[in-house]
Amino acid sequence: MRIRRPVVLLGLLAMLGLAAGVAPATAQDRDTLVIALDTLGAMVMDPIADTRAPHAHYHAPVWDSLVGFDFDKGGIGPGVAERWEGAPDGKSWTFHLRKGLKFHNGDPVTAHDVKFSLERKMSPESIASGAAALRRAIDKIDVVDDHTVRVHTKGVIPHFVASLSRAVFMEGTVMPKKYIESVGVKGFREKPIGSGPWKFVRLVPGDRIEYEAVTTPHWRGTPQFKRMVLLLVPEQSTRIAMVRTGEASIASIGPDAIKEAQAGGMRIVSVPGTMQAVYQFWGTYKPEAKGSPVTDVRVREALSLAIDRQQIIDHVMGKQARWPIAFATFRYSSDVTIPRWEDWAKTSLRYDPARAKKLLADAGYPNGFKLTFWNTALPGTPFMVQIGEAVAGFWEKIGVKVEMKTVEWGVFDPQTRGEQKGLAATASMYRTAGRPEPAPRYTTFTSKGVQHIFGDTKDCPALCQEVDKVYESVVSEKDDARRLAATNKMLEVVANSWMAVPIVEGVGLWAVNPKRVGQFKPIPGRHEFGDVAERMPRADQKPW
Amino acid sequence: MQRFILRRFFQSLVVLLVVAVVVFALARVTGNAADLLLPEDAGREDREHLLKALGLDRPMHEQLARFLKGALSGDLGMSIRYRKPAVEVFFERLPNTLTLVPIALLSAIVISIPLGLLAAVYRGTIIDRVSGAIAVLGIATPSFWLGIVLIYIFSIQLGWLPSARMGGPAHYILPTITLAAFLVAGMMRLVRSSVLEVLNSEFVKLARIKGLSQTVVIWKHCLRNALIPVVTLFGVFFALLVTGAIVTETVFAWPGVGRLTYEAVIFRDYPLLQAVILLKAMIVLGVNLAVDILYAYLDPRVRYS
Repeated sequence: MRIRRPVVLLGLLAMLGLAAGVAPATAQDRDTLVIALDTLGAMVMDPIADTRAPHAHYHAPVWDSLVGFDFDKGGIGPGVAERWEGAPDGKSWTFHLRKGLKFHNGDPVTAHDVKFSLERKMSPESIASGAAALRRAIDKIDVVDDHTVRVHTKGVIPHFVASLSRAVFMEGTVMPKKYIESVGVKGFREKPIGSGPWKFVRLVPGDRIEYEAVTTPHWRGTPQFKRMVLLLVPEQSTRIAMVRTGEASIASIGPDAIKEAQAGGMRIVSVPGTMQAVYQFWGTYKPEAKGSPVTDVRVREALSLAIDRQQIIDHVMGKQARWPIAFATFRYSSDVTIPRWEDWAKTSLRYDPARAKKLLADAGYPNGFKLTFWNTALPGTPFMVQIGEAVAGFWEKIGVKVEMKTVEWGVFDPQTRGEQKGLAATASMYRTAGRPEPAPRYTTFTSKGVQHIFGDTKDCPALCQEVDKVYESVVSEKDDARRLAATNKMLEVVANSWMAVPIVEGVGLWAVNPKRVGQFKPIPGRHEFGDVAERMPRADQKPW
Repeated sequence: MQRFILRRFFQSLVVLLVVAVVVFALARVTGNAADLLLPEDAGREDREHLLKALGLDRPMHEQLARFLKGALSGDLGMSIRYRKPAVEVFFERLPNTLTLVPIALLSAIVISIPLGLLAAVYRGTIIDRVSGAIAVLGIATPSFWLGIVLIYIFSIQLGWLPSARMGGPAHYILPTITLAAFLVAGMMRLVRSSVLEVLNSEFVKLARIKGLSQTVVIWKHCLRNALIPVVTLFGVFFALLVTGAIVTETVFAWPGVGRLTYEAVIFRDYPLLQAVILLKAMIVLGVNLAVDILYAYLDPRVRYS
């Protein structure tokens, strides 16, 4: 059993050879745009097989969406459908498709593809974010002609069009019917094609996805780089190092890395209105919460007045955040009167510890009280924990004894479903993502909603009934003016309850190597760059 | 020997069954994948549909029975996140770890054995003290921090090496140093104490009385006997690194099985987590068996009957 030296040497050489040959280094040339990301989601090249936001990084380059973005303001705009109109009875929508658009194999994009795509999104095997919502909403889909498709909805759903935009989810993604039918699902996932400005080249699990730019002009913008590589680099310091050394052109970062990135000569690009950090109270209507201080609206208002939001913006968020407006409402939101809510936020969300203490005293708690606070961060926004710590600090200052429970999201989230045992009369950090319309997010407050903040179907007190009523009037109103009024009313009821309170409006942050990429403008509200990469100029080119 | 291997094989099967059941139960204690996959404004219906689509709506005992039945035929289920067979996902990533770990281990051996030997032979001298200091530093330095410092010096400041990711030979240098630093420290101290023990033994004294040179005594008689505990440690380290090089793989964006395990935990990807842990358990059991067999080679007194 003597091991011979040549064998050992051969083994070593083989290992080094294997090491050198496993993954070729990606060419970091001037023609390649390299984006280093903290997450690439499930890395499955099929729009029905991923659920969360990261697919807006890696699906969006390949596939177009039926409804697109308003690139300047944020919110929705033309997509594969150049325009659309609702029927007078509010129960159907007609989409007029862009002519001349082709899939990467040369097949034209037609109304048949749109119908096929929506039906595929609604299929039982689809785990897409809003698949259930589409099933609830869509009655049938008619192909009127090659460039016109009509979607009949189950009742009046005024926000239906927005749900088909990548500004919300990915439900409007247009897939190639003929191609999928000929190669099958497995074939499609291995060699996906779409009609987007980037063609899929290859995927290396856990490492990267490579794309190649289309060579013909594209309605979303014709890419300035010939190739694009999305790299999965989970550690932030490594991502920043890669941008500094030129191994990557752009990297996603958090607020805690702004100074480091700037010191390294990088340009910071911040995407406004990507999220709102909030805190909210749970189960205040439940019998277990009886007698709890947080069942008193004065106490809840006092807790908001105790928070110095400007301090959080300056010191926790590195000045890269904004003063929030109403819950789940952003400056680009439609269906709401933005100036009104900006004014409201300026005064109502002010820092006023004296008033906070007076309200606590009025409510019978001059010496404060004990409050359980679940500090947690949703995926993609780890800085929520630091915001939570700051909030708890401000509450302590007015005499509240905060029992802070810092828990991983995966542990906290299941508690918010169903009976919500152990949550009654506690507060937690939470988040709302940037969405064109606030209304869908307000399901949180309805008795049938997953979180049923004000009451559930068995126990729905007066405030809960009021919210149910006003929510119903918003989501079933086809008249724009009346819906605007109803939405404002809904925001008012929730704002005055101080049950879910905005802390700051967060931004999406990116570190850019100015020697690799020129000036470009992100889409307000959409953190991911899947719809922006094609409009990124090279360093020596004019800004987009 | 054959009987020994056979017995160990059946023992391993029992261990694997226990591991499978424990992992199945523990994975489900802290939440489920559907909640993590759904966006914050998803409704009850979205959740119910997703649970059904993922097969998580079935009673627990039914899920366990299905898992064990599948495992017997080599099917460890479909990864919830990647929508592919979990075994396939694991084996896609395993080669990436297997190219890094042996290089780190070999580097650690090449450095730690001579250093440990020198420290023992020159016990109490400056060589011993310096090697002791290196060992303390290696053990006390967190891999995470060491990795970041190495990237800062060699990639950002000097520009000599790539910061991260798999690639050509240059890509292996920093992750190897990061992994090996910890190993060198442990192995070196073990070699030192083991050699010291052997140096005082009767057969070494006899070899010296016979007039053999210091080199022959140390390298031929002493080292071979001193290496038995080192081989044990080597086996443990190999299994540890294959299964747990999470930190190094994260810092250097290395798509190996360590990071895959971390992702499976974070996303509550039960089938993947179960598959990864079971397959890793198989690797650990296999390595342990190999170590036992190697003992017999190193120490002829050891016989398994």
